[in-house]
Formats: sequence, C-alpha cells, structure tokens
Amino acid sequence: MEKNYFLAKWLNGEISEDELKNSLNEEEIHSYKKIIDATKQLKTPNYNIEEGLEKIKSKHTNIKVKKINFTKYVYRVAAMLAIIISSYYFISNKNTTYVTNLAEKTSFELPDNSNVDLNADSEITFKSKNWEKDRILNLKGEAFFKVTKGSKFTVNTNLGKVQVLGTQFNVIVRDTYFEVQCYEGLVSVSYNNKTVKVPARNSFKILNSKTELITELHEINPSWIDNNSSFKSIPYKYVIKEVERQFKIKINYDSSLEELLFTGNFTHENLEVALQAVCVPLNLKFTIFSDNQVSLQ
Amino acid sequence: MDNKNNNSFCDEKRFSTFFRENSKSLSNYIFYKCGNLDLANDIVQDAFLKFWSNCSKVIPGKGKSFLYRIATNLFLNEYSKSTVVLNFKSTLNDTVTNESPEFLLEEKEFGVKLQRAISNLTEVQRVTFLMHRIDGKKYREIAEILNISIKTVEKRIHYALISLRKEIENI
Repeated sequence: MEKNYFLAKWLNGEISEDELKNSLNEEEIHSYKKIIDATKQLKTPNYNIEEGLEKIKSKHTNIKVKKINFTKYVYRVAAMLAIIISSYYFISNKNTTYVTNLAEKTSFELPDNSNVDLNADSEITFKSKNWEKDRILNLKGEAFFKVTKGSKFTVNTNLGKVQVLGTQFNVIVRDTYFEVQCYEGLVSVSYNNKTVKVPARNSFKILNSKTELITELHEINPSWIDNNSSFKSIPYKYVIKEVERQFKIKINYDSSLEELLFTGNFTHENLEVALQAVCVPLNLKFTIFSDNQVSLQ
Repeated sequence: MDNKNNNSFCDEKRFSTFFRENSKSLSNYIFYKCGNLDLANDIVQDAFLKFWSNCSKVIPGKGKSFLYRIATNLFLNEYSKSTVVLNFKSTLNDTVTNESPEFLLEEKEFGVKLQRAISNLTEVQRVTFLMHRIDGKKYREIAEILNISIKTVEKRIHYALISLRKEIENI
C-alpha cells in the first residue's frame, strides 16, 4: 500500500491546500502553516566562503609537499632497514673468533653456557647463530672445554676432530703435536680416517703424525689454567715453545735437544723460575738478554 | 594529472567553483547534525581537502554525493553521542514591527518552542527538513546528496512536521 506523505507533498507544492482539507481540519492546517513560515525565516550562522577556500588551497599545497617529503622519507627508511637487515644477516652469519696472543690466556662462554679456557697464542672460531643445534668450532693452539650436555659438540683442528656430548676435555694442537686430554665424560677423536674413543682420566697424543699413545691422566684439570704447564714425555721443542708462548720471549738452544722427551712442569708466573725448571733436568744454564732473548747452554 | 583535464575536479579552477557552490550547504548540513559551528567548519575543511586529494577518483556527476559521503564519515568519526543544542540565528523578530507587546512576546515564545522542537527531531528528520526549509533544496537534490529515495525524503519531512506540531502545541 503506497503511503501518501501528504504534508511533504503539500510543502512541495504537489498538492493544494484544498486537497489537504481531506486529511486535516482548519486548526491543524493553520498550525502547520505557522511552522512552515517560521522555519523559512531561520538562518544558519555565517560561513565565510572565500576564507574557507583560501585555507583549503594552502593546506592542499602543504599536503602535496608533505606527501613528496613523506615518500622520500619512506624510501630513506626502507633503505636504512635494508642495510640493517642485511647487516644483521651478514653479522649473524659471521663467525665469532677468540684469539689469544703470546703470554695471554682467556676464558669465555659459548652461547650454550659451555666454558672455554684458551691458552696463549691460540684461536677459536665458531658461528654463534644456531649454536644450540650445531655446536662446531675451530681450534688452533690449546683450549680446555667444559661442555654442557646437549647436541654433539665438535672441535675441528687441522690435525684431527674431537667430538663430545657433554664433558670436560683439553685439546692441544701445536704444529704436529696433537693431544686430547679427557677429564670427564667421553671424547671421540677422529684423525686420518681413524676414530678413537678417549674415556675420562685419559689422554690421547699424536706426535709427528706417527706415535699414538693413550696414557692415564692424574690431574683433574689441565695445569695451564692455574698458570703452570706440565708435560709428560713430551719432546723438548714443544716444552720450549710453550715457555716462549707464555713469556713472549725467544729461546735459542742446541737443536739436538729438540726430540728429547721431557717430563716436568714450569710456572707462568716467573720467567727465571720457569727457565730453571726446564733447564735443570737437562743440565742447561740460561742467559737472559735485554731484547727478550734467552739462550740455553 | 592536475592540469590535464579541465573538467576534472583536480583542476584548481574547477575545484574552486565546486567549493563555492557547495561549501555553505555542506557547512549547514553538519550544523544541522550537531549544532556546533566549529565542528562544522573543521569538517568542511577536511572533507574538501580529502575530496581534492581523491579528485581523480570522482565520477563525473557524482561529485556532490561523494563530498557529502566524505563529510558524513568524518562526522561519524569525530562526533560520538552528544546532546544537540541548536542555535539558529533567527530573523523571526525582524518581520514584526508595529504589533502589541503581547503579540511580540507570543512570537518570541513560539520561536523558542520551535527551536527546541527542531532539536528534538531525529537527526535524519532534522537534517532533511532543514535542508529543505533553510537551504531551499528540492526533494530531488536532497535525495541525491543523502543517497536516499525521494519517497524517503517525503516521509522524513512529513513526520518532521507532525513531530514539530505535536511538541509545540503540547499534544
């Protein structure tokens, strides 16, 4: 049923006042007329058109300028982000390296809280990203490891590879001298396509890439951590090299002594005491020169 | 894009004409909704700015309804529920000069009642009704701007008149 909005139609001029009389009485018509006339008189507050237009024109130009600057700004931010993100990938994929110089020792923790003591003139390199899953590092020199239980822990050296799951062990890689001392747990050593398992309180040694020995360990820790180097049947040249390393000096001695096996130890805390320790067993005397040179006779 | 097409709203001349033609009505439109002149002015500014920014998207012939749609949305965002207080500048008093004081007072009272009654209309009734009475817009134009049918315009005006009379005469 189509509704007839007769008041609206009348207001619009679509129906006459006479037709209206069909729906409304005189009084009602009079009331509506009064309302209609009164509302015609109403005015809204003034609006300044030209002022409004000027404001808009200037704002519009500003917005255009802002948009251009904004675009430049966005590009700059994007460029910065690109650099930051790529550096992050670059850095996070980079290796972490710890290096010790002569007469220097250091101790640090790996991302999994495994502890590493690094002896003088040594270097360890590893990738810290994804460490928990892939515990692999490269060693040059000597380091003592206390490895937390977890995924396989691997020490790569150029003489062989050492693998553990969680244990304490010391690895020495100097020239052709390779030794792995296991203080706790079980260590697997791979070299020349061979693998040997080294249980706790045992040490595995390769000298000149031929001699292979497993001997017993009596210490609970490698002594160098306590500033003392100890050797059991180690060729003299390695002993002297270690003295040089710990004191940053150069030692001259007769080369015929190089392969003599030495058992003993020396302190890192006093050069003269140390030299005594390595000279006396071989009946040698030492002379210290001013330019960090020592000669043994 | 700005100066290529002279019929496009992006062209400054064309936009300025459009502004002059519609700014007062638009301001009134918002004013009918809330009775707040400052808000009306702000929304007119923002609506035209937004319109100009989107000038390339405007369909020819649909400029006005697009403009009012922008303004309505801006209004909805700005203005949650509030009491409406209208303050029309009325010229009622000016038209009567040599009548008796009682008559003048009566007219003044009527004016006050009328204003209050207008405030108490529903928003859609008030807006539609005043667009016709104050802006002088025809039903067809009102329908186009508000995006409703002419029938709806008639309905709103019809019931607005009924409500006004009811309130003024205390029925």
